[in-house]
Amino acid sequence: MIRRRHGLLLVAPLGLVLAGFFIAPVLMLVPTSFGEYVPGAGIAKGVWTLENYARIITDDYYREVIWRTLGLGLAVTAACLVLGYPLAYLIARGPERWRVPLILLVIFPMMLNLVVRSFGWIALLANRGLVNNLLMQLGVIATPLKLMFNMTGLMIGLTHIYLPFMVLMLVAAIRNVPRDVEAAAATLGSTRIHVFASVTLPLSAPGILAGSILVFVLTVSALVTPRMLGGPTYKVMATLIYDEYMQLLDWPSGSALSFALTAITLAIIWLSGRVARRWAGQP
Amino acid sequence: MSALVFEGLGKSYGETTVVREVSLTIGEGEFVSLLGPSGCGKTTILRMVAGLVEPTRGRILLGRDDITRLPPNRRGLGLVFQSYALFPHLTVYENVAFGLRRRKVGGAELDRRVSEALAMVRLSGFGDRHPRQLSGGQQQRVAIARAIAPRPRVLLFDEPLSNLDAQLRDEMQIELKRLQRELGITTLFVTHDQGEALSMSDRVGVMARGVMQQFATPEEIYHRPATAFVASFIGKPNRLAGRVAFRAGAGGRVAVGSIELAAARIDEASGAAIEIVIRQEAIGLRPGGGAEDAVGGTIVLRSFSGARVQYVVRLADGIELVAETPSHGALAALEPGAGVALDIAPEAVLVMPVEGAAA
Amino acid sequence: MSADRDGRPGHAVTIAALAVVVFLQVPVLVVVLAAFSTTSYLTIPPQGLTLAWFGKVLGDPTYLSALRMSLILACGSTALSLILGVTAAYALFRRSVPGAEAITAVLMAPLVVPAVVVGVALLQYFSLTGLRGSFVGLLMAHVVITVPYVVRSALASLAGLDLAVEEAARVLGATGFEAFRLVTLPLITPGLVAGGLFAFITSLDNVPVTIFLISASQTTLPVLIFSSVEMGIDPGVAAVSTILIVATGIVLLLAERRFGFHRFV
Repeated sequence: MIRRRHGLLLVAPLGLVLAGFFIAPVLMLVPTSFGEYVPGAGIAKGVWTLENYARIITDDYYREVIWRTLGLGLAVTAACLVLGYPLAYLIARGPERWRVPLILLVIFPMMLNLVVRSFGWIALLANRGLVNNLLMQLGVIATPLKLMFNMTGLMIGLTHIYLPFMVLMLVAAIRNVPRDVEAAAATLGSTRIHVFASVTLPLSAPGILAGSILVFVLTVSALVTPRMLGGPTYKVMATLIYDEYMQLLDWPSGSALSFALTAITLAIIWLSGRVARRWAGQP
Repeated sequence: MSALVFEGLGKSYGETTVVREVSLTIGEGEFVSLLGPSGCGKTTILRMVAGLVEPTRGRILLGRDDITRLPPNRRGLGLVFQSYALFPHLTVYENVAFGLRRRKVGGAELDRRVSEALAMVRLSGFGDRHPRQLSGGQQQRVAIARAIAPRPRVLLFDEPLSNLDAQLRDEMQIELKRLQRELGITTLFVTHDQGEALSMSDRVGVMARGVMQQFATPEEIYHRPATAFVASFIGKPNRLAGRVAFRAGAGGRVAVGSIELAAARIDEASGAAIEIVIRQEAIGLRPGGGAEDAVGGTIVLRSFSGARVQYVVRLADGIELVAETPSHGALAALEPGAGVALDIAPEAVLVMPVEGAAA
Repeated sequence: MSADRDGRPGHAVTIAALAVVVFLQVPVLVVVLAAFSTTSYLTIPPQGLTLAWFGKVLGDPTYLSALRMSLILACGSTALSLILGVTAAYALFRRSVPGAEAITAVLMAPLVVPAVVVGVALLQYFSLTGLRGSFVGLLMAHVVITVPYVVRSALASLAGLDLAVEEAARVLGATGFEAFRLVTLPLITPGLVAGGLFAFITSLDNVPVTIFLISASQTTLPVLIFSSVEMGIDPGVAAVSTILIVATGIVLLLAERRFGFHRFV
């Protein structure tokens, strides 16, 4: 038995660190988001306004960035699912001796520095990058394709970055599908595709959901890759927040946007939790 | 001199009472089993003795010392877990040495006592192995060696044999009993297996739903069960609903439907509804049947299980009893349809008050 | 999706999957190629091979001090996260804390809140408290973003533990701390190594929090690469990246050899 007093003593140090360096800072951002930004002077004292939040909804540019961010999240999630499922299936169900090497090849890019991976994509996708160079050398195109500073570049880069997360979640999900149930369906006369569609896919649905939520949340929160592949002009929410703080010094707008982004991720996670519970047959 | 004493020992989790006011005294060197179905509170008692669960009420005395509030590491007990709980990252040697090292035993003395403990469980030469390299039975022995090496004042066993296969279990029963006699260590053994409890123990405590039903010698438990629960839990019982026909002295006759049986001991009033427990092995069979003083019936099913044969016998009024005989001789070869007479000694007819809750 | 009768992947699935594996490695290979290429932009085939970029980078004090800063920060935050995270996870695991579930949720919260939000929140907080640009502030920020990985892996490792093993140690005379140190800790070490490695890499990788908090004198390697890419492609960046790629690969293989790392992701 360790007693409650001791338990609290063990949790307290980490609790204090998180309270002091995570919870307090985030809470102190709340008043800022209701403050008024005065160009050149910073935040006006004693003025409270909902303007920063109202602008997120009414301002066309902000709206465009938010929709772009959400669209990017959906597109990257879908791409990761489509690309990830076959690989996850091969790892989970393929030859035993391939398993560990394949998993390591999935983990390796995931552990690699994000900046390095994004840099790799710049080298590939830039106007004078490898892809355009190759295509022009082969005479396929005359002028470079625009592969960066737009949706295409962000899609490719972010899909590459978050694909490993999806694959690992799917591997766990597929391995949890009981082979007996599949065999039972097959003996009952199902075709292979029908077994997959009626047994394997539904039974791996919780993993698909978990992986999708993870990738979606990571994508809409991403700063580094969108900034490196999108440049200073093609913005998503995270890069917009970055610019509000670092370039425009408009902290009130930046903090309101921060809370909007946080609200989006929390809402998605909360919703997925409800869906998962419903699947599990709980109220 | 008493080695271990429980005084009104009890444990509740909120509203749920797991152990209710258990008091008993275990003598020095005695082998005591706590027997009962899962969830009866026997393991909770063991864990309270070990210091792993804090009692809600009552006291535990070890010799003269009150150990009720002592942390487990200061009780000086040995505990063998159901899962063995060997340290998987340590060698057999280090597993056995663990308790000795905590008692600051070192050097040649440590070596000697580890070897001694391993020799006692016949695992000399296994010191360098890791637990995962051993069979289940060997792991069991390491767990015992680890528990006895520090020479505990009391040895506790939590269903230690339940993970072994039947043959190994019988072997270990005998070996454990011998080891306990040699060492003379007071032992508290928790089990749900009545065979284990009856064959190994000096005394057995039968528990149900947190209540100590009976604490007595194995013979007493078997022949003179104190409650309907004990009567029906021990042996292989036939349970019949009936009533007291009449009383004569300590005994009398009981009636089940139209059948009357003599019972050696009846505590209930004449005419009272009762539960009658007759053990399968206490029913004698005679081929042919129809004798005056015996109950007659027809065999409906024969079931052979090696050393024993069981018959389902249908009596008058459709009452069925199971009778068991050794699997050799003429009695073992009766076929369904054969008529038999049942000999049931008055001592074998156990009369219990009807106890709705007892099951 | 086609699959054999016994649920094994068919040819189409295998080929698609292997193509995805190649896709995952492509930018890595490109970076390595660029590091050895004589031209500042890449061509196939490369026009010439050189080690000059490595020489340039390794002789550049900016890169070296950024690398040193990154390593100090990663080591420090990993060590702190391990100490704080393991003790907290242990208490939560033993259910000796009221409201364990709520506390666990709070400990995991830094994973849920977007890193850029943590970054700007700390930027404002440190500006107000005077910690902006300080090493301590940066270190604590990295503890906040790395500790969930440690807590998660510690909780997972503890969940796989037979509670009786620690109880056995207690009954054999070990104090609570001894039982933890001699039995529990060695048994969860592989999981902690994995969690610690994740924490280390998360710290070493981080830009979205770090970039708001660094001072001009103490930048980290990823932030340095991030900013220099804004200036344009520099093969020096490729050389530095290649060094990181090789280091990551070696660490991953060592972790796999020693602890079967793939089991913990």
